[in-house]
Amino acid sequence: MASTAEGMKSLLEDRVVKSKWPARLDLAQSLSGLGLGLFMWTHLILVSSILFGKDAMLAITHVMEASFLTPDEAGGYTLIPALTAVGVFGLFIVHACLAMRKFPSDWKAHKTFRSQMAMMNHSDTNGWYTQVVTGFIMFFLGSVHLYIMATQADKIGPQLSADRMWTYGMWPLYLILLFAVEMHGAIGMYRLAIKWGVFDGKDPRATRKRLKVLKTLVTVFFLSLGLASLAAYVKIGIENVENNRVGERYVAGQEG
Amino acid sequence: MSQSNGTAQKGRTLKFHILRFDPQLKGDKPRMETFEIEEQDSMTIFIGLNEIRKKYDASLQFDFVCRAGICGSCGMVINGRPDLACRTLTNTFPDGEITLLPLPAFELIGDLSVDTGKFMRNMSERMENWIHEEPDAEPRKLTVLEEKMDPDVATEIYELDRCIECGCCVSACGTARMRKDFLGAVGFMHVARFEMDPRDKRTDEDWYDLIGDDDGVFGCMSLMGCEDNCPKDLPHQNRIAYLRRKMVSAGT
Amino acid sequence: MKIVYSDVLVIGGGLSGLRAAVASSKRGHSTVVISLVPAKRSHSAAAQGGMQASLAAASASRGDNEDVHFSDTIKGSDWGADQDVARMFANTAPKAIRELATWGVPWSRIKAGEREVVVNAKKVTITEEKQAEGLITSRNFGGTKKWRTCFTADGTGHTMLYAMDNKAIELGIDIHERKEALALIHSDGICNGAVVRDLITGELTAYVAKATVVATGGYGRLYKISTNAIICEGMGAAIALETGVTPLGNMEAVQFHPTAIVPAGILTTEGCRGDGGLLLDKDHYRFMPDYEPDKKELASRDVVSRRMTEHIRKGKGVPSPYGDHLWLDIRLLGKEHIDKNLREVKEICQYFLGIDPVTDLIPVQPTQHYSMGGVRTKPTGETPGLKGLFSVGEASCWDMHGFNRLGGNSVAETVVAGMIVGEYIADYCDDNSVDIKTSIVNDFIEREQAKIEKLCARDSGENVYDLKETMQNIMMDKVGIFRTEEDLVAAVSELTELHQRAKNIAIKTKTRSSNPELVEAMRVPRMIKIALCTAMGAQARKESRGAHAREDYPERNDKEWLKRTLAYWKNEDDPTPTLEYEDLDIMRMEMPPGSRGYGKDLTIHHPDTEKRVAEVEKLKEANPDVNRHELSELLNPIDLPERLRGLNERVGIGYE
Ligand SMILES: Cc1cc2nc3c(=O)[nH]c(=O)nc-3n(C[C@H](O)[C@H](O)[C@H](O)COP(=O)(O)OP(=O)(O)OC[C@H]3O[C@@H](n4cnc5c(N)ncnc54)[C@H](O)[C@@H]3O)c2cc1C
Ligand code: HEM
Ligand code: HEM
Ligand code: SF4
Ligand code: F3S
Ligand code: FES
Repeated sequence: MASTAEGMKSLLEDRVVKSKWPARLDLAQSLSGLGLGLFMWTHLILVSSILFGKDAMLAITHVMEASFLTPDEAGGYTLIPALTAVGVFGLFIVHACLAMRKFPSDWKAHKTFRSQMAMMNHSDTNGWYTQVVTGFIMFFLGSVHLYIMATQADKIGPQLSADRMWTYGMWPLYLILLFAVEMHGAIGMYRLAIKWGVFDGKDPRATRKRLKVLKTLVTVFFLSLGLASLAAYVKIGIENVENNRVGERYVAGQEG
Repeated sequence: MSQSNGTAQKGRTLKFHILRFDPQLKGDKPRMETFEIEEQDSMTIFIGLNEIRKKYDASLQFDFVCRAGICGSCGMVINGRPDLACRTLTNTFPDGEITLLPLPAFELIGDLSVDTGKFMRNMSERMENWIHEEPDAEPRKLTVLEEKMDPDVATEIYELDRCIECGCCVSACGTARMRKDFLGAVGFMHVARFEMDPRDKRTDEDWYDLIGDDDGVFGCMSLMGCEDNCPKDLPHQNRIAYLRRKMVSAGT
Repeated sequence: MKIVYSDVLVIGGGLSGLRAAVASSKRGHSTVVISLVPAKRSHSAAAQGGMQASLAAASASRGDNEDVHFSDTIKGSDWGADQDVARMFANTAPKAIRELATWGVPWSRIKAGEREVVVNAKKVTITEEKQAEGLITSRNFGGTKKWRTCFTADGTGHTMLYAMDNKAIELGIDIHERKEALALIHSDGICNGAVVRDLITGELTAYVAKATVVATGGYGRLYKISTNAIICEGMGAAIALETGVTPLGNMEAVQFHPTAIVPAGILTTEGCRGDGGLLLDKDHYRFMPDYEPDKKELASRDVVSRRMTEHIRKGKGVPSPYGDHLWLDIRLLGKEHIDKNLREVKEICQYFLGIDPVTDLIPVQPTQHYSMGGVRTKPTGETPGLKGLFSVGEASCWDMHGFNRLGGNSVAETVVAGMIVGEYIADYCDDNSVDIKTSIVNDFIEREQAKIEKLCARDSGENVYDLKETMQNIMMDKVGIFRTEEDLVAAVSELTELHQRAKNIAIKTKTRSSNPELVEAMRVPRMIKIALCTAMGAQARKESRGAHAREDYPERNDKEWLKRTLAYWKNEDDPTPTLEYEDLDIMRMEMPPGSRGYGKDLTIHHPDTEKRVAEVEKLKEANPDVNRHELSELLNPIDLPERLRGLNERVGIGYE
C-alpha cells in the first residue's frame, strides 16, 4: 500500500513540478560545446607548431607530456595525452549526445528544414544546418582520430605524426575533419555568444554584426593555419618516405 | 529592416508569382500562377494583389485589414522573406519579379491566407498572456489613483508590446517549422513583456513552468530568423537570451 | 441547421465589443464574440494618438475634470450630442483608463522634473511635479482645453486592444474568428441573435442569444480614400438597418481627419500636431494661424480639415498626381521625441513614403476618418426599435459625439460604452430569456442561404468591384468635406440607381466556401444602402453642423435642425431609406447651445436656448453652496450602473 502511495506522490510531483533537466541539459550542451571549442582552438595552435619546425613541435609535445617532470626531460608521460584524449572523447560524446537531441527527428522534419533554408537563404539558419552536418561527420571521423590518440599517444611527434598523415594515409580524414571542426566550432562559438547574450552590451544588434565578422575571421584564420600545418606534416611524411625514415622517432636538435 | 526607396517606375510590368491552393476544394493541388500588372506610383503589394483580384482572378485569397503595417494580418513570404505585404512597395524589386507564398508554420486557409489567429490564441492561452495579480489580491477600486509605474519601465514594456502577432518570426524559424509544439519567438516576446511588467506577479518558477523545456526557451536554437524578419524590430536576440539565462538560473 | 446558444452574442471583436463581452461575462452570462478577423486585428488596433480621460496628473492638464471634458465634448459635437450620454461618458472615462492600467496597458507615465515641449512652434519648458511621477501622463489634442489625451507612445489602440483581448482570453470568453454576421434574427420586436457565415468553410450558423450587440465599427470604406481599415464597411449598421424596425442615427455625420498621408490615406496621428507639429502650404508658410488665430493647428478636426481645403482651393496646395496636398512638419519635435513618441508615424513615413519625418515634410490631405453616425441607441445602449439589440463603439450612435468627434474620444468611448452598456446588457440578460421558435430561426437561415444561392446562380450581371468603386467615388466627390445641394442631389440619384443595379450582381467564382468575391458581392449592396442613408441625410440637413458642412447653408441652424436624423429601411423593396427626426431637448441640456468659438458665429439660435440659459443661471443662483458634482447632478441627473458610480480621485486634490 505504502509503495503505491509513494508512487502516486512521485507521479503527482512529475506533473506538478516541472523538471529541472531541460535547463541543465541546455547549459551542459553549451558548456560542452564551449569546452570543445576552446580545446580545438588550443589544439590547432599546438598542432601548428610544426610550422616552426620539428623542434618546436617536439618541444610542445614534450610539454604536453609533462616531460619537465621526468628525470631526463625527454620523452614524457604519454599517459597524459592519452588520458586527455579519453577525457575529450568523453566531452565529445556528451556534447554529441546532447546536440543530437536537436537533430531533425525524422526525414520529414529534415525536409521541412531544408525547404525552410531554400525559402529564406538566411545565414544563421544555414549555419545551424552546417553544424548538424559537420557534427555528424565529426561524430565518425573525430571518433577515429580520438581513438588513435587515446591508444597511440606515444606515437605523437614531428615525424610519427607526419608518417601517420602520409604513410598511413590519414590526411584525407584530417582534411575533412579540419574543415568540419573549424566551421562547426566557429559557428558554435558565435551561436553561444548570441544564445546567452554574453557580449550583448548596449546595442545587441551591432554586437551581433561584429561577432559575425569575427566568426568569419576566426574561421579563415584557423583554416589557413590548419591547412598550412597539414601541408607541413604531409611534406615531412613524403620526405620520410624518400629518406626511408618512416617510423623513426625525431630526436631534438636533429635538424638544427 | 531598412527600406530602400527606389525611384517609382510607372508603367513597368510587374510579375507576381503566387502560390495557389484552396484546401477547402476537393482535389485542388498547389501550383504557382503568374500574373502581370502595370506598376503604379507608390504601389504596394496590397494594391497589386487587389488589382489582380479585380482584373484577373476574383477567387484569389489574401488577408489585409489595416493596410498600414499595424495590424499584422498580411504576413506572407515575399521573395523568400516573411514580411508585411501591405507596406512593401513594389519599387523595392529591381527586376519586377515578386514571388508570394503563404506563411509556413500556420494552417493554410487558401492561397496567401493563413490562420495565424488560431495559433496566436493558443499561444496566449498557453502562456497565459495577461496580468496575474497576487492570487488573493482585492480588485483595485477604479475611483482611486492608478498605481504608479516607473516611466522608463512603461516605455520598455511598450517596446515589447509593439508585437502585432503577424507570425513572421514563427515562419522565419526553422525550429518552429520542424517542431509543432515549439512556442516560437512571438511567445517569447510576450513572456518577456509580462516578465518585465511589475504588475504581473508571476515568479521565476512560474515562468519556468511555462517555458522551461524544449518546447519553450530551451528548444530555441538561436537561428535568429525571428530577429532578422520581425517587421516591428522586436529585440528577439537580446530578450530570448535574457529569458534563457533567467530560466537556467531558475532551473539549476 | 447548426445553432450556437449563448446569453450574449457580441458581433465585433474590437475594443467596444470586447469590453462589453467582458462586462457580461463577468456578470456570469455566457458570452460569444464573433469577428471578421482575429480580435486583435480589429481596427481599434490602429488608433495611435490616445484616449481622453480627465486624470489631470500632468502639469499641462491640471485643473481638468469631468466637467471640462464634458464641455469640450459638447462643443466639439457642435451641440449635436446627447448630453446625458456625454456626461455618463465623461464621468466614467477616468475609471475606464484606470481599469485598463490594471489590465496591462503600458500607459506612458509622467517623469518628474523639467522637460522641453513644443507649443505654438516654440520650445517651452514644463515642469512635472514629484508627486505626479509615475502616474499616467497626457498630451495635447485638438479641440480640448487641457492636455487630456492619455497614450502609449503612438500605439495606444494597439496596446489597449491587446490588453482587452488578453482579458477576454483570461475570462475564457469564446471568440469565433473569421465569422461574418449576415442578418439579425428577430421577431415581434425582439432580437435574438444573428445568422453567421463562416468565412473559411462558408457554413451558415444561427447564433441564438438573449442579447445581441452590434460592435462592428465604422463605415469609412464607403469612401474611396479613408484612414479606416478595409474591413470598416458598415456591415453592423447594415444588418440593423435591414431589420426595417430600428433606425440608424445621423449617418451624414462623417468626419475627415486633417492629416492622412498622400496617396495611401494612412493616418498620421493628431498627436503630431498635439505634440507641436505644424501645417505648411506649398510656400512652407504656416497658414493655420491666419484662419484660427486662437487654436491654430489644434482647432477641432472638422475645422482644420475645412481650413486646409479652403487653403488648397486658394491655390496654396502642393500639386501631386493625387490632387493637391499640404505639408505636416514635425521636424521641430526632434529625433528623440519622434523616435520615442511618434514611432509608428515614423515607420509609416519610411515604408509608405520613403521619407524620414525627422528631416522631411510629410505630404498630407484631409481624409475620411470617423463615422459619428451608426445604429441609434438609447443611453443604455439598447436600440429603440428592437428589444435585446444593443450597439456600442463606432458602430453605434449612442451619441456622445454629435456631429464631430474629438480626437481621443473614440477609443475612450469604446471602453466606456463597453463598460456601461455591458452592465445594462447583463441586467437585460438577468431579466429575460430566449423565447424564439426554432422555425423562425430556421427561416432566417434559409433566407440568407437562398440569397447566396441566387447570387451564385446568376451568370451574367453587374461586376461587384465596379459597383463598389463607383459608390466610393460618388461618396468621395459628392458627400465629402464641403457639401452642396447640387452634389448631394446627384449623389442620391446616382446611389439610388446603383442600388438597383446591385440587385443584379453576378460573380465568377461560385465556390461556397472561402470566396472573397462572394463576400464582396454580399457586402456591396448593403454598403450602397448605407451610402444612401448618408447621402440622403446630408441632402436633407440644410445647415452646417460639425463635420457636416454645407456651402449653401453655412450657418448652424438650431432653430430647425437641432435634431437627430433617423434613417429606416422599412421595406426590403424600398428604393431609398425613410428619414425621420428626433428632437434634441434644449430644456434638458446641461450646457445649452452656444458658440464653438471658431471663425464667425453664424448660429441661428433656437428660442429655447435663451430660456434654458436663464434657467441654468437661476438654478446656479438658487444653489450657491453646491459643489460642481452636486451642480451637475442638479442640471443633468444621470443614471449609471451601480458599480461605475463614485467620484474620481486626482493627484494633489483628491476627490474635489
Ligand atoms: C487610423 C485611425 C486612428 C485612430 N486613432 C484614434 C485615436 O488616437 N484616438 C481615438 O480615440 N480614436 C482613434 N480612432 C478611432 C477609433 O480607433 C475607432 O473608432 C475605434 O477603435 C472603434 O472601435 P470599435 O470597437 O467600435 O470597432 P472596431 O475596432 O472597428 O471593431 C469592429 C469589429 O467588428 C467586427 N465586424 C465588423 N463587421 C462584422 C460582421 N458583419 N460580422 C462579424 N464581425 C464584424 C470586426 O471584425 C471587428 O472585430 C482612430 C481611427 C483610425 C481609423
Ligand atoms: C585530446 C584529444 C586530442 C589529441 C591529443 C589530438 C592530437 C592531435 C595530434 C597530435 C594531431 C597531429 C596529427 C597526428 O598526430 O595524427 C592532431 C591533428 C588534428 N586533430 Fe587532433 N587531437 C585531439 C582531439 C581532436 C578532436 C576532438 C578533433 C576534432 C573533432 C581533432 C581534430 C584534429 C584535426 C582536424 C587535425 C589535423 C590538424 C591540421 O590540419 O593541422 N583532434 N590532433
Ligand atoms: C560528434 C560531434 C559533434 C556533434 C554531433 C555536434 C553537434 C552539434 C549540434 C547539432 C549543435 C547545435 C546545437 C543547438 O542548436 O542547440 C552543436 C553546437 C555546438 N557545437 Fe557541436 N557537435 C559535435 C562536436 C563538436 C566539437 C568537436 C566542437 C568543438 C569545436 C563543438 C562545438 C560546438 C559548440 C560551441 C556549439 C554551440 C553550443 C550551443 O549552441 O549550445 N561541437 N553541436
Ligand atoms: S514578434 Fe515580430 S514577427 Fe513575431 S509576431 Fe510579433 S511583430 Fe510579428
Ligand atoms: S528563429 Fe527560432 S530558433 Fe530561436 S532565435 Fe528565433 S526562435
Ligand atoms: S494589413 Fe495590417 S499589417 Fe498589413
